[in-house]
Amino acid sequence: MNHYANLAELEARALSLAYGRTPVIDTLDMTLPPGRVTAIVGPNGCGKSTLLAGLARLHVPGAGSVLLNGDDIQRLPARTLARQLALLPQQASAPEGLTVMDLIRFGRQPHQGWLSQWSADDRQAVHDALAAADLEDLAERPLDALSGGQRQRAWIAMTIAQQTPLLLLDEPTSALDLGHQIEVFELVRRLAGGGRTVVMVLHDLSSACRYADHLLALQGGRIVAAGPPNQVVTTDLVRHLYGIDCTLIIDPDTGAPLLGNIRRAHPSSA
Amino acid sequence: MRIALMRIAECLPAWRWRRPQGVARPFIVLSLLVLLAGLASVLLGAGEVGPGRAIAVLLGGGDAEARFVVGSLRLPRTLIGIAVGVALGVSGALLQAMTRNPLAEPGLLGVSAGSAFAVALALLLGASAATLRVSAAQLGALVGCLCVLSVVRMRGVGSDPIRLVLAGAAFSALLASFTSLLLLFDQRAADEIRFWVIGSLSGRRIDDLIAVLPSLLVAGVIVLAIARPLAALALGERVASGLGHRPARVRLLVILAVSLLVGAATAIAGPIAFVGLVVPFAARALAGPDIRRALWLCVPLGPLMVVSADVLSRLLVAPSEMPLGVLTAICGAPVLVAVVRARRMPTL
Amino acid sequence: MHDRTLDIPQLSDEVRVPAPPGSWRLAWRWPVAEPRWASVLVERRSVIANLLLTVVLLLSSLMYLAVGSVVLGPLELLAVLRGEGDMVAAFMVHELRLPRLTAAWLTGAAFAVAGCLMQTLARNRLATPGIIGIDNGATAFAVASVVGISVSLAPPAMALMGAATAAAITFGLAVGGGTRGYRFIVAGIGVGAVFGAITQLLLARVGIDTANAAYPWTIGTLNARPANAMVVLAVGLAIGLLLAMWLSRSLSLMRFSDAVAQGLGIVIQRRRWQVLTVSVLLTGLAVAVAGPVGMVGLIGPEIARSLSSRRGVPIIGSALAGALVMVLSDLVGRVLLAPIELPVGIVTAVVGGPWLLWILLRPASRNLV
Repeated sequence: MNHYANLAELEARALSLAYGRTPVIDTLDMTLPPGRVTAIVGPNGCGKSTLLAGLARLHVPGAGSVLLNGDDIQRLPARTLARQLALLPQQASAPEGLTVMDLIRFGRQPHQGWLSQWSADDRQAVHDALAAADLEDLAERPLDALSGGQRQRAWIAMTIAQQTPLLLLDEPTSALDLGHQIEVFELVRRLAGGGRTVVMVLHDLSSACRYADHLLALQGGRIVAAGPPNQVVTTDLVRHLYGIDCTLIIDPDTGAPLLGNIRRAHPSSA
Repeated sequence: MRIALMRIAECLPAWRWRRPQGVARPFIVLSLLVLLAGLASVLLGAGEVGPGRAIAVLLGGGDAEARFVVGSLRLPRTLIGIAVGVALGVSGALLQAMTRNPLAEPGLLGVSAGSAFAVALALLLGASAATLRVSAAQLGALVGCLCVLSVVRMRGVGSDPIRLVLAGAAFSALLASFTSLLLLFDQRAADEIRFWVIGSLSGRRIDDLIAVLPSLLVAGVIVLAIARPLAALALGERVASGLGHRPARVRLLVILAVSLLVGAATAIAGPIAFVGLVVPFAARALAGPDIRRALWLCVPLGPLMVVSADVLSRLLVAPSEMPLGVLTAICGAPVLVAVVRARRMPTL
Repeated sequence: MHDRTLDIPQLSDEVRVPAPPGSWRLAWRWPVAEPRWASVLVERRSVIANLLLTVVLLLSSLMYLAVGSVVLGPLELLAVLRGEGDMVAAFMVHELRLPRLTAAWLTGAAFAVAGCLMQTLARNRLATPGIIGIDNGATAFAVASVVGISVSLAPPAMALMGAATAAAITFGLAVGGGTRGYRFIVAGIGVGAVFGAITQLLLARVGIDTANAAYPWTIGTLNARPANAMVVLAVGLAIGLLLAMWLSRSLSLMRFSDAVAQGLGIVIQRRRWQVLTVSVLLTGLAVAVAGPVGMVGLIGPEIARSLSSRRGVPIIGSALAGALVMVLSDLVGRVLLAPIELPVGIVTAVVGGPWLLWILLRPASRNLV
């Protein structure tokens, strides 16, 4: 699966995003490390999902720009962008009655046209996606009949079939129980191993530390920390982001920081 | 849940025993406005009797034609307008409180359509006496109400105000096409029904009003009796039973009152939509969410809307007349949209 | 054969690509200089559904031609269609029933495709033009042109303007709420009520004769069908169907949530406008012929969806099913209470109303298209 020789580079330059007149992201600069998993974390309402929407061109910037390999994504044709960047939004909804295979096939749409509806490449990509997400046995099942974790893997498989060097996931594990979360995270790790750049918005700092190579901590529409989890996660950062005190422990098996003894921050220490 | 219940119950006495205050002044102002509208309705018309001649009649003079027009046409019409307005306004407020749905309205939910269908059926079967028509209308309204109630009790639908309205619209449309079917069968009934079915106050006699008066009075007594439990029901069924009310009985009484009121109004004036939506909407805007205060204001607001709409319907396209239902729809639809738009729902 | 495979192996691969389950794949070499392969997939289930609908439509059309005040036997009908048979029967079929049948086909297909497009656009099967007030807008304007409110535009043009106006108001009011959910539909019901009231108002202003002339537009019937409106509708339907087919690949993505569709390369705003325009065009033109028979826009796509594959949006299926519903409804309306003729609008309302209620009230209601 390692056919992303040209890693895509996505960066934000002085990016500002707003809903109406309410600014959400404020002149933000960042570059995503190619071929790595980046997690965007922060408290509720800090603009995580908005930033992701901006990176995926769902949200038109008020100022600044998002550059994909140096080109402003606002100027790229929609299909060209869809071949470079795949997005899995939160609570994606599908029409009734689709099977897993059907859903994944929709991921090929950016590569197809009216007169090239099913090429050898399409078939290969769909089968690769099924294999990558470990869904081969479920290909003919209706989506409605899957468990939450399986359904989320099917959605991710759709974005895999898109064969983009960039993959943006908005809270891919929300509403999943722990076992299903791990299913999804391990799939994400495998994808990054195959050379894709993955960005995911997460609300759980511990999972972010465990599964991301790079952390972007957002607070009030600005980046307050960026870097590998074991370097940037400090008790100060946790207090600043979530208003809680904790003890940081290093996971002996993975080296990822863990949060222990969590309690509400004392007002004087804040 | 229990704790939440107790918390609410603790807060309750504070407002439970408060007199409906702050309503007296708007009530009086609105009643004066109703009087003004009534006066306009008596003085103005599409015909040749102008305000001058009508005033002469009111002062005890006037010519024979003017006396006939004012005494036998416009005065009954005005009184009927007042009765219809009260009935529709109050029944709208009752339905909205019972279903806890700001869009519940006899016209939109199909209660009026049920009533109209029953009347059309009765006329087709040869009924002509006014009282018979009234009981048919009330029976139809009752069936319509029960349909609404059973829909509200269905899971998922009752909690979604907009779906309820859609179901009501579908139900009304269905009944309306059944009514049109009936009209095809019988030319005589068709002629009698066709204008009535649009909803209008023109050509109604004072006898019609007298025929429905008893049921209006009964409905009024019921409303007075259930106002307080209904206010508790607005907080939810469990809270209401926690406060010692019996939701099932309250609901039954509400349905009875609404059937009597809507049936009476429809029997006289035909189905008139949107009055039951606009009036409680305005009453809530003036009096706040407490149903008892809103109910008081519905009493003058209903006639105000119906009588003024009726006056306008005579003047706008004089010398011909516009059906009253057209005007209420033109006023009511924007309110409908406003209510729907005002209910913020999460979007992404 | 073997040699060819050796020469250009990748091309041979393209021919042999197996189709995904449930579909047939047609592949051919593109006759241009550069060797390029074209491939088209057809859903097996949709093909079968469309064939089935076509057969049923043809059979009911033959019945439509045969049955009426004078009933023709199968052989008689065949003779008449071949240009033989007696004069009366020939006149009956060619001059009366055939044009009416054509009108039923055209309006049924137009209403159903318009409904299917609007449902997909709003991602709600209740959001048909009839329910969100577009029919009523078209009707009000068409009636205005008939009762002669100082305009000399033909009914089709007026109906189109009315449909566009109603659509503009409904969508304008829904701004902020978006085109999703029930809120938008209730706004449409309000708009429809206002236009319905305006129609009544227009009828109340004019004399009884003019009102009778405009009456068909208020109830929906195939009795009136102005000839020029038929021609305009036929042309409009041809264009509309082509546009809808062209949009169909985007349409199948528009059933997903917006973010998914955009992520797959759809410029959603532009597509919405295109879909809305086609839907409004078809609705306006169909109303100019038959009046508001909006229920067909609900029933037709519903039938098509239940028969066709779930992968796509059944444009052709909707057109066929809509025509079928219209033909059958009008047949029932003509025959059921003969000599009284039931307007087709009433028949479809009586059939479609309970269906609508069922969609709304059934337990576990799924309202996504």
